[in-house]
Amino acid sequence: MTFAQPLLLWGCLGALIPLLVHLFDRRRPRPHPFGAISFVLKSQKRTASRLRLRRLLLYTLRTLILLAVPIALARPELSKAGTVSAGLGPMATVIVLDDSLSMRWRDTSGLQAQTLFERAKAEARSAVRDLLPEEPATVLVCGAAPLPPAPLSFDRARMLQALDEAQATYEAADASRCLELAARALEDSLLLAKRIVLVSDFAATSLRTEAPLPTVAGPKGERIRPEVVLRDVASSLPELPNRALLDVKVEPAPQVDPKAFAFTFTARNFSAEAMKDVELQLKVDGRVVAKGFFDLPAHGTGQKALTHRFVGGPVAVVEGVLAPDALTEDDTRTVVLPVPRELTALVVNGAPSPQKFRDEAFFVEAALQATGSPVRAVVRDTDAAFREDFAQYDVVLLLNVEAPRTDVAARLKAYVESGHGLFISMGDRVDPDGWNASMGGVLPRRLKLFKTAVEPGASDVGARSARLSQVAAEHPVLAPFTGRAREGLMSARFSRYMLLEPGAEGGQVLGTLDDGAPALVARRLGRGQVLLFTSTVDRDWSDFSIRTSFLPLMQRVAAWLSGSLEEREELKVLVGETAVLPTQLPLTEVELLGPEGVELKLTKQPDGALAAGPLAAPGAYVAKSEGLVVPSLSFAVSVDAAESDLTRLKPEELKAFFGDDAVKAGGQSSESKAPIWTWLIVAAVIAFFLEGLLLPRR
Amino acid sequence: MSVLDAATLSRISGVKLRARAVVEGVLSGLHKSPHQGQSVEFAEHKEYAPGDELRHLDWKAFGKFDRYYVKRFEHETNLRAVMVVDGSGSMAYGSGPLTKLDVARTLAGALSYLLVRQQDATGLTVFAGNQLRDVPPRANASHLNVVLDALDDLGAHGTTDLASAADHLAEKVPRRAFIAVFSDFFDDRADALKRLIALKARRHDLAVFHIVDPLELTFPFEDPTLFLSMEDDRRLEVHPAEIRESYLEEFNRFLADTKATCTAADVDYERVRTDEPLDAVLLRFLARRQGR
Repeated sequence: MTFAQPLLLWGCLGALIPLLVHLFDRRRPRPHPFGAISFVLKSQKRTASRLRLRRLLLYTLRTLILLAVPIALARPELSKAGTVSAGLGPMATVIVLDDSLSMRWRDTSGLQAQTLFERAKAEARSAVRDLLPEEPATVLVCGAAPLPPAPLSFDRARMLQALDEAQATYEAADASRCLELAARALEDSLLLAKRIVLVSDFAATSLRTEAPLPTVAGPKGERIRPEVVLRDVASSLPELPNRALLDVKVEPAPQVDPKAFAFTFTARNFSAEAMKDVELQLKVDGRVVAKGFFDLPAHGTGQKALTHRFVGGPVAVVEGVLAPDALTEDDTRTVVLPVPRELTALVVNGAPSPQKFRDEAFFVEAALQATGSPVRAVVRDTDAAFREDFAQYDVVLLLNVEAPRTDVAARLKAYVESGHGLFISMGDRVDPDGWNASMGGVLPRRLKLFKTAVEPGASDVGARSARLSQVAAEHPVLAPFTGRAREGLMSARFSRYMLLEPGAEGGQVLGTLDDGAPALVARRLGRGQVLLFTSTVDRDWSDFSIRTSFLPLMQRVAAWLSGSLEEREELKVLVGETAVLPTQLPLTEVELLGPEGVELKLTKQPDGALAAGPLAAPGAYVAKSEGLVVPSLSFAVSVDAAESDLTRLKPEELKAFFGDDAVKAGGQSSESKAPIWTWLIVAAVIAFFLEGLLLPRR
Repeated sequence: MSVLDAATLSRISGVKLRARAVVEGVLSGLHKSPHQGQSVEFAEHKEYAPGDELRHLDWKAFGKFDRYYVKRFEHETNLRAVMVVDGSGSMAYGSGPLTKLDVARTLAGALSYLLVRQQDATGLTVFAGNQLRDVPPRANASHLNVVLDALDDLGAHGTTDLASAADHLAEKVPRRAFIAVFSDFFDDRADALKRLIALKARRHDLAVFHIVDPLELTFPFEDPTLFLSMEDDRRLEVHPAEIRESYLEEFNRFLADTKATCTAADVDYERVRTDEPLDAVLLRFLARRQGR
């Protein structure tokens, strides 16, 4: 037991007044001769024991009243030995307010719906008001990345303002860090007694309590735990039932439409009661386009797939929204989906043939026009193709084409630099010198000469042909080729191929043959890409065109060259994380708009990528450049699925972490848990009332 | 409304005058006095015997019959009355102008006065502890003075001993008589009142005047008080407020028991507060007697 105003305890001496009155107030009774003294004697004998008891009770009650009042004024507080505050007077105090996601849980059981965070703020304000005038204090809003609190002060208005301005976040709080910061702030106080008031719902995910409770310097310099007062804002609730959308998986649904996607949502019920017919809405750009229903067993998970065919582009904000519950923030999952646009490829056929299987462009056209392919191929011979306006196409494929004239080469270069793609494959019509002369500024590497590993049609072509030995598996074009798909790629045989000059242009070799010669070389040119394939795309120099890997590879090549492949790379960002956006666009040309339409600040990373964050709120973040949406830089931020589990810490877990000395108070409490002095006043009033009852009636 | 209230009576010194004042009040209150029209009427002749009053010899009968006959008058068959006054120490208590003893003396004197006026013999017995004093009943007017003087001289002392008084009366009043007892009946001994009431068995007409003081009825004391016994050495310091409830319960039970005992034995019971007009008390008493 400690007292805020110990000097007032001298007032307890007043409890001696009844005794002193009894001892010294021996007023001389007035003598009175009385005829009926027999009756007085009888009455006195009859009531003697009762009177003695009443006098004793009166004396006790009066003593209690005179004791309770000074003790109440001295503001007693309960504390146990071992805490730093035991008997040390006013306490330096840090009020730690948990602002984690779980605090957004809305309690609708009372008369007034209120989030736990609103309740926690009221609780923290109450804690501020409960401070004694001589107790320095500060407020620490405890989030995932808490900052050191303001220095301890007596400025209650500033503390209340800090509480008013506090907002619940979408992340788990790092309680260990918060307590450490609070303890560090307490170290600065000269007061010996130190206290941390922790206002929280004590959800297991919001309080990560891996580290031990920090200590502060005790009265003799020893390390000792500060007193911890736990104010539980959810103490009146048996549990915090919740359901959440944990994940969404997006897959193309070509069987429905080339521009259709299937969204598979995973929902989980974190409560002990099963949930039936929980509505799931699929919203595209804010409009409900499909609905489904979940049946979620207690503590169980369910999946629901909804499909939608997209029309517009370049991006769509897709949201899965569960029927709202007490914590709505985790009932929505957002995806910023680049809507695939139809690509148009100009296939320049350098060696047309009436026999389809001998035609240079036959296999390429077949691959690009396959079902589900986003590419529409337009095949032209060389002369016709070079008369076309390249800008009408997303990508141009030069298949075994003679060296373009200088003017065409210049147009091609400008075309690529403006952000388009160019694919070049070799063949008999390709003259290295001519190509180097006209297209040297476009080629990833200059051409050297043909190398024939084995004459096509030779009997031992299978054994002597060159094969791919290494591919850049991390490159977007080749990334899907793993496992059996990779085998299909690596098993292609090349009987003849173009050797290249050693690279001075900085082209990236995506694949090499077993003799070390490059097979696939890429180069960024301006805002576009150039990809050079050193063999043929028909069966003249290799059998690659009849391999299973040819079709997907050509589709990915076309998509990559046109820039639409990058658009499909989903960037997964959680609340509180920093999004790193790989791009070569200059910082000044990109603006990133958050869920509320507010522009976010971007920073340039050393590798040229742009970084945004830490991102505080879930939702869609759309990047724009020169007023146009940049799908590859747009993304969605989600709350961490782990934060949706609102299981509260058990008392024994709290005890294990905070120790037996933690004083637990609160909840509506708090508004309800009265301090000791109020009970003393109540006791004094009751004693006063009883004293009045016991007094002899006149 | 009587003018003979306690304050007025207290200003009249001496029992004689007080009793007379009370009687005058009674007589004026009766309007038709009960002794008006009464006279000493002849009843019968009796042959003279030594000791008979010579003045009652009927000389006319002697002339006729040559024998001495004595006239006997009606009044000689009238009531013999004994006023029994409690002279114990507790009777000296009085919160107002009159003590209980004052009231007892005045009532006894007034009643004697009335009785003598109607030619009844009246006597007096005073008991205080085991001391008893008697004035034998007589009917002449001069005897009234003797009774009133004895009442005047009466002082309060000793304990209340009703049983001794009862025994004494049984011995001293052999013939049927009207016995009026004036007391506060503060006798702790068991059956004391019953011993007194036992006189009824000797065909005596018994009336009880139970005299109480207003303070005894209400016990209004507040401050710590040292109560002193008026009959012995007992003393008790109490907070009166603490025991008031219990005291009133005890005292009212005593009053109720006394009245119930008297009523059950067909004894006239009259409770008299020392602050009430005594003529009204007597009128009330006489009216009830007439109604019997």
